[in-house]
Amino acid sequence: MRDRFQKYYPAAAAMAGLMLCYLTFFSVRETEFVLVTQFGRPVRTITEAGLKVKWPFQSAIYFDRRLRTYNPRPSEFLTRDKKNIVIENYVVWKIQDPNRFVQAVGDAIAAEMRLHDIIWSGLSAALGTHDLDSIVGTEREKVQTSSLLDGLTTAADRAALEQYGINVVDVRIKRLNLPEQNKQSVYARMRAERERIARQYRAEGEEQALSIRADADRQKEEILSVAYKQAETIKGQGDAESTQIYGKAYSKNPSFYKLLRTLESYKKVLDDKTTAILSSDSELLKVLMKGEAGAK
Amino acid sequence: MTTATLRLETSYLDSRLAPLQRTPRITPTRVFLAAASVWLLSGVYLVAPDQQAVETLFGRVIAPRIMPGLHYALPWPLESVTKLRVRQLQRLVVGGDAADNILGRTPPLRSQFVTGDKNIINMRVVVQYSVGLPADYLFQAQNPAQLVGSAVEAELARRVAQRDVDAVLTTEKASLQDETRAAAQRLLNDYRAGILISTINIESSTPPPEAADAFRDVASARADTARIVNDAGGYANDLIPRARGQAKQMLEEAEAYRLKKVNQSMGDASRFDQIASEYGKAAQVTGSRLYLETMEQVLPRIRKVIVDKNGNLDLTIIRRGDPTTTK
Repeated sequence: MRDRFQKYYPAAAAMAGLMLCYLTFFSVRETEFVLVTQFGRPVRTITEAGLKVKWPFQSAIYFDRRLRTYNPRPSEFLTRDKKNIVIENYVVWKIQDPNRFVQAVGDAIAAEMRLHDIIWSGLSAALGTHDLDSIVGTEREKVQTSSLLDGLTTAADRAALEQYGINVVDVRIKRLNLPEQNKQSVYARMRAERERIARQYRAEGEEQALSIRADADRQKEEILSVAYKQAETIKGQGDAESTQIYGKAYSKNPSFYKLLRTLESYKKVLDDKTTAILSSDSELLKVLMKGEAGAK
Repeated sequence: MTTATLRLETSYLDSRLAPLQRTPRITPTRVFLAAASVWLLSGVYLVAPDQQAVETLFGRVIAPRIMPGLHYALPWPLESVTKLRVRQLQRLVVGGDAADNILGRTPPLRSQFVTGDKNIINMRVVVQYSVGLPADYLFQAQNPAQLVGSAVEAELARRVAQRDVDAVLTTEKASLQDETRAAAQRLLNDYRAGILISTINIESSTPPPEAADAFRDVASARADTARIVNDAGGYANDLIPRARGQAKQMLEEAEAYRLKKVNQSMGDASRFDQIASEYGKAAQVTGSRLYLETMEQVLPRIRKVIVDKNGNLDLTIIRRGDPTTTK
């Protein structure tokens, strides 16, 4: 009998050895934590990846140590200045202490419920001490979202780690919105704002256009009047110069000028509508009347 | 059974198996060696040009980034190799879904953002990202894509909440994209997500339909303003060159007048000078001559009534329309 089974002994020993290896050695992946338990009692936590050893009677529980994202449903909060705001945030968390996690929480869904409570209360407390303008506002120095969230993250992390073995890596506001019931009045305000801006644009355009036109008109008048001034000055110069030339020329022989100019005037003044009544005694007709004696 | 028959049988078998004698005999050692070499050879693997790989030994990362080429890793179950297409851009939509837009509507809550001046706008942002560090990408986060989406959305929402609606819709769109990309990348680096955001593109940012017409009116007001100002500019551009032309004309005319005046007077003066110098030589005769010449020119044109020095003048002879009469 013994002989018949003897040849199976090496195989059985090999099998047993393999089994022992299987129970003793185990590999831990980068994505995991392992909690080694002995008859259900946690003995140690393995946080490093690689090939690990345990007693065959111990067992290993694997936990995903990767970052997880939790998106709580958007909820409405009240700020210090009694304004409602809808906030949707996301929480990045991971298991930090598998021992505590398995004892206090168990699985991811339960963990998210607990995180929701911690973060909701933290956020509503934080928002209760901030005005809406420090969350949503164009004055950047007044906006304190970052410090608010950093504080919230730190507080939530401390609480979650202590109670649940969870590391809250980050809490961020993913979306801000206004409550549905306020939306209609928001839209009305937006429209009113736009109308005001449109009116302002048009008025400003009008202002600009009027000033451009007025400026153009002014420039035109300026150009023309300056030109008039210069033109009249030039003409005056011409007149003065010509007067000077005439004066200089004529003052050499004033009586001859007078004679010449008078004769010149006759040619212009006396035309075919003129009737001249000439005395027979006149210089011109003296000869006619008196003969040669008149010429003397 | 006797040994004789056995020998006979083996010799028979030997003769039958003779042609097979050239192939090696199958022994357990050989089988084991063959299996072992096949097992060892199965560790050869290829990383394609667009890929990178991560090697782990019993789950522990021993090579976080293996570049394209032929490589060797200890076979299963010792080492394992994960290959990733690192260059491949992955696309993610934040805000309204692209698919919804084809139907002409986006679910309002998904796409609505609140601006700093408490306006609501709809935005859709497309994020493109790729794997930065394969080991981190594989092992740090459960769902890297969700992490990217959340980080981008958070940074975008924070920045939109600090700008007024006009800035978000128009002037600061580019800076919003850049800042969001940089900040989301910093956030993902903090998470060690092993992700590289390559672009963030605001595909659409529009006012809500409830106020869209008012926004359009602002745009048309802006266009109106530009038009009015342009018209005024056109008026000015028409007016001023004309005025300049007119001014130039006036100046030229004045200059012409001056030249004419001066030249005329110089001509007159020179003429006078010459006549005067001749006149000085024979004043009496020249005076008479000039007088008479003038009379010759003047008198033929005019009507003349010659009366005697002492005679009475019968004024009836001067009647309108009468031919020139000489008494």
